[in-house]
Amino acid sequence: MKNENQKTSHKLLTGHVSRFFIFHFSFFILLASCSGEYVGVPRADVLRYQTVSTYGALHELATSYARSLNDAVRVDTLHPGMYAEYGVALALMGHTGTACRMLNAEMKTFPESRGMVQRIKKRLMPDMLVDTLATPHDTANLAQLASWAYDSLTALKPLPPLAPVIDSTDTAWVLQQTPVDSIEYPIRLTATQKRELLEKQQAEEATRQQRIADSLAAVKQAALDARKQAQADREREKQEKEQARKAEQKAREQQREEERKQKAAQREEERKRKAAEREESKKNKKK
Amino acid sequence: MKLKNENQNAICKLLTGHVSRFLVFHFVFLILLSACSSQKKLDAYTDIYSERPQVIYIAPLNDLSMRHALRTVDDSIYNLSLNIAAKHLYLSAADPLIRHGYYLLGPLASAQIAATEWRTGKQLRNGDIGDYYTELGIDAVLFITLHGWNATYNTWTVEVEYVLRSARTGNELLHVSVKAMKMLTTDFKGYLLPLREDVDFARRYGCDVETAQRCRLVETLNQYVLKDIPSGLKARQHTTEGYIPSHPEYFNLKIHPDGSVQMLKTELYE
Repeated sequence: MKNENQKTSHKLLTGHVSRFFIFHFSFFILLASCSGEYVGVPRADVLRYQTVSTYGALHELATSYARSLNDAVRVDTLHPGMYAEYGVALALMGHTGTACRMLNAEMKTFPESRGMVQRIKKRLMPDMLVDTLATPHDTANLAQLASWAYDSLTALKPLPPLAPVIDSTDTAWVLQQTPVDSIEYPIRLTATQKRELLEKQQAEEATRQQRIADSLAAVKQAALDARKQAQADREREKQEKEQARKAEQKAREQQREEERKQKAAQREEERKRKAAEREESKKNKKK
Repeated sequence: MKLKNENQNAICKLLTGHVSRFLVFHFVFLILLSACSSQKKLDAYTDIYSERPQVIYIAPLNDLSMRHALRTVDDSIYNLSLNIAAKHLYLSAADPLIRHGYYLLGPLASAQIAATEWRTGKQLRNGDIGDYYTELGIDAVLFITLHGWNATYNTWTVEVEYVLRSARTGNELLHVSVKAMKMLTTDFKGYLLPLREDVDFARRYGCDVETAQRCRLVETLNQYVLKDIPSGLKARQHTTEGYIPSHPEYFNLKIHPDGSVQMLKTELYE
């Protein structure tokens, strides 16, 4: 009996205890996830920015907001005001187009914020007050905002990059255009969508590089042709000048020869006239 | 002995095969318990239940506390500590309200709205704020007034007044005046020993330990005062939930080093 008890306790302590602890551990994890880690305003960065109001502190704050926004969408706990906070930070940094997109996303996500967001837009970007659908400068590339929001996590970039860069290993953001009211809002991509987007961007980049290479080759050929044409023109001009110079020289020699002949004839006439005068004077003396 | 073995087997079964069902039942039971409603909270927060605000705007902090005259370096350090703690009082007031399902703008956006305001804090606190509802869609405005700081050799004290006013009717939905004290730990010689949480806070926020202690004091105060107000629209529990209010209108709060909180009811705000 003692052995059976020992076996039972051994079972309890080895085979079943581990499962028991796993159950309890998962239960604690469940409880902890119920309370949840608050993904919201990065208070440390806000406090730092309010204490030292510099551009660097503002950029750190915007980066923290981008990270919080990314985390919030990842765990599906988007708290109110996060789009607006990120938009205000971007507007204070000068990125009014992206800021307008974020404020529009706030109005789209939380319709009760419309009055406040309109007041903020009136103060920060009065030229975009009526723009609640799209922004003027980056509508061509939908991934531009997402790539900038992602890139701002890693490096200081005062302006959004022109070419989007999507990392295939981490969460990427794009703007999805809804068919109803055509308001664009960021969504999180799945792995397949991310891979497809990456392949599409790589193909577009290859096409762009090929187009650039073709245009460069065409420009180079055009430059070579222009150089040859210019050389030929220069040769022709040189030959024409040489011919003109020779013709001018020949004409000048002919003129000089004629002048020489005329002078010789004049001298002969003068000599004949003087000889005649001498003979006439001799005849007069004889008379 | 056989009975003992059967008991052990039953316990073993309970701990292995039926544990998941057991935990699920208990979890559901806990949820049902927490969802049971009572009339106590409805009575305690009648105004909030009658108004049912959804959007709350936290007005800029009305800081009435005195600062040291700047004569020495210590004065500037002390004043900076109080300034940071006052800012943290304003920043940390939004968390409990957001957790209760209310819509609040963040500090940057609220600052932009406050920059367009031409009235003083006192005029806002006592005057008509109907335009907040008509123009901005704000249902209620939370006014936080910091009346003062005090310190003894092992106690930080702060006196704060919370007023939640409806922008639609101008009524006071919530009015709490509290004097909170943070008890600091000392060694056997009477020197202060900072807690590990305070040091972590100071490292995370880049401030000194005294500032961190004040910031944690006001953060705990915000969470305590606003922890049991009725849930907002996002939580959708306006009419179903009910809790016992944790504090009266006027009270003193004493926060001990071990994290325990002692509440002493007072009649008038001193």
